[in-house]
Amino acid sequence: MQLTIRDLLPVYFEEERKKRSEIWGKEIVFQKGELTKIIAPSGSGKTSLMHFLYGIRREYTGDILYDQQSLQTIDPETLSGFRSSQVSIVFQDMRLLPEQTVMENLEIKRQLNPYHNEDKVRQMAERLGVGSKLASLGRTCSYGEQQRIAIIRSLMQPFDFLLLDEPFSHLDNRNAEKAMELMLEEAAVRGASIIFADLERIDFFPFTRLFYL
Amino acid sequence: MALSFKPIRPLLQTGTNKSSRLFSYAGLGIGVLLLLCAIQMYINIQSLLREGSIRKNGFDYISITKNVTAETQGQEEKNLFRQTDIDELKKQPFIDGVEPLLANDFHVKLSAGAMIPFRTDMFLEALDNSYIDTVPPSFAWQPGQRSVPIILSSDFLEIYNVFAPGQGLPQISRETATSLAVNIHCEGREKEEIFVGRIAAFSDRINSVLVPKSFLDWANQEFGKGREVSATRLFIKTKDANNPDFLRFLDGKDYKLNKDKTILGRNKMVIDGIFSGLGIFGLLVVILALMLFSFYLQLVIARSRDSLQLLLTIGYSPAWLSRNFSKRFIPVYITIVLTALLVTQLAQWAFHHFVMFDRPELSSFIHWGVWLVGVVLIILSIVTNYRLVRKLLYRLY
Repeated sequence: MQLTIRDLLPVYFEEERKKRSEIWGKEIVFQKGELTKIIAPSGSGKTSLMHFLYGIRREYTGDILYDQQSLQTIDPETLSGFRSSQVSIVFQDMRLLPEQTVMENLEIKRQLNPYHNEDKVRQMAERLGVGSKLASLGRTCSYGEQQRIAIIRSLMQPFDFLLLDEPFSHLDNRNAEKAMELMLEEAAVRGASIIFADLERIDFFPFTRLFYL
Repeated sequence: MALSFKPIRPLLQTGTNKSSRLFSYAGLGIGVLLLLCAIQMYINIQSLLREGSIRKNGFDYISITKNVTAETQGQEEKNLFRQTDIDELKKQPFIDGVEPLLANDFHVKLSAGAMIPFRTDMFLEALDNSYIDTVPPSFAWQPGQRSVPIILSSDFLEIYNVFAPGQGLPQISRETATSLAVNIHCEGREKEEIFVGRIAAFSDRINSVLVPKSFLDWANQEFGKGREVSATRLFIKTKDANNPDFLRFLDGKDYKLNKDKTILGRNKMVIDGIFSGLGIFGLLVVILALMLFSFYLQLVIARSRDSLQLLLTIGYSPAWLSRNFSKRFIPVYITIVLTALLVTQLAQWAFHHFVMFDRPELSSFIHWGVWLVGVVLIILSIVTNYRLVRKLLYRLY
């Protein structure tokens, strides 16, 4: 799969932004296997960009293409197909089901298009330090734990692109590094691309492309 | 690993709306029951009154005679209908047709043969076929034919069965009567001929002994006195026998109307109307219940909005979710409609057995049309439900 952005700009941003940004107003093609880092200070539209790329918001001008299909006109069934097998995401606000256990949260995602077996899920949880939390309800987990669970959830499916929207905002460096290591491994196994948007440069992400939003 | 709805089910918050859900189920059940019962009763009424109806092709058929009073008795010309009377009637806007009941102009006797020692003077009449309520295909006659089909008034059979025991004669059923042959003796112009009469049908509308018009025309010519035969009775075809203008006209002419038969027709219309109304009411209750149920679904989806939205965000297909969400209610719909069908069946059995005393025109089982309506209702509920849920989920996307 190939992801293309073409002259993209949120409708609530002034045209001026296109001049200062390396993303807004440009045409960029993201290929499988690339590790892309997008450095974006607060208010530069980082979350908007990730939501646009994942297709959950459409308040923009320009276009985003999954292969040759525009996200502005894609039908919900096709888009859900992309989301379950080609594009995965870690949201900044985690988005777990609060009344389900951690394991249920992961299973609901995993059964959609299973890439790993249940044992592997437990291994991943152990590796990121949330193995003891699998039976706890989503709402009882701390933000840091929720963030790690959201990361594991994003790895439950096959994907060509993994979108990361400030995935370590509630994690200390050690835990962030572990999580990054896991994601890099998983992306490498799939030959997938990571598009990682964050406030600043992070040393443990070996990007192959760098953009300033 | 097949995609399962089981882990999704707890995300749909339905528990706290149990009473509103039960209300909509009950409403749907009552509506469906009313609708099915109304349809079944409507079918019952059609079967019961099919023979007794004086209405045919949307018209009332009624007979009129001239009022025989102390002054007019014995004066044939005043008590019979002339062609001018018929022409005048035909001109009236509320009358759609007039046909005279043609009478015999010769002497007729009836005998029942050797089995039943019964012999009586009789009369024969003929009427245009379109005015007769029950015309079997065998009701036709051609010159040379020995057997003559007869349509007999149901009332006559009843009267016969009343006086038969007193006269030492056997009482007979409709079925027996139609299988019996009677001898029709036609006398006149110094000759006599015997024909074999067979009852082809019974009429609830016409109090007469009807033979095919072709037979009476032929017999009047053959045995008759050769005079012009005037009608004592006329049959009138009208859209509405209770039209005040029509009744006023008849009163003005001093014609006598056979009102009983129109009352039967009107009663049927009223009963038809009541059950049609009940059916429409049932349908409205069904629609109301479906609407109530759709509000309940909307409420469930609104309450579970965050979870459903998250499922869609992480890649669940809205069509799959709608299908599986709607599927949960299929057993409910089937149970409701099947229960309503079962109750309708019980009601029909009780009606047939206890109210109608197992009359052969009716069945103890519900009509296939009622089953069909039940199946259509199940399909309708499932489809409307699925469409609603899908619409709501697409809106969340």
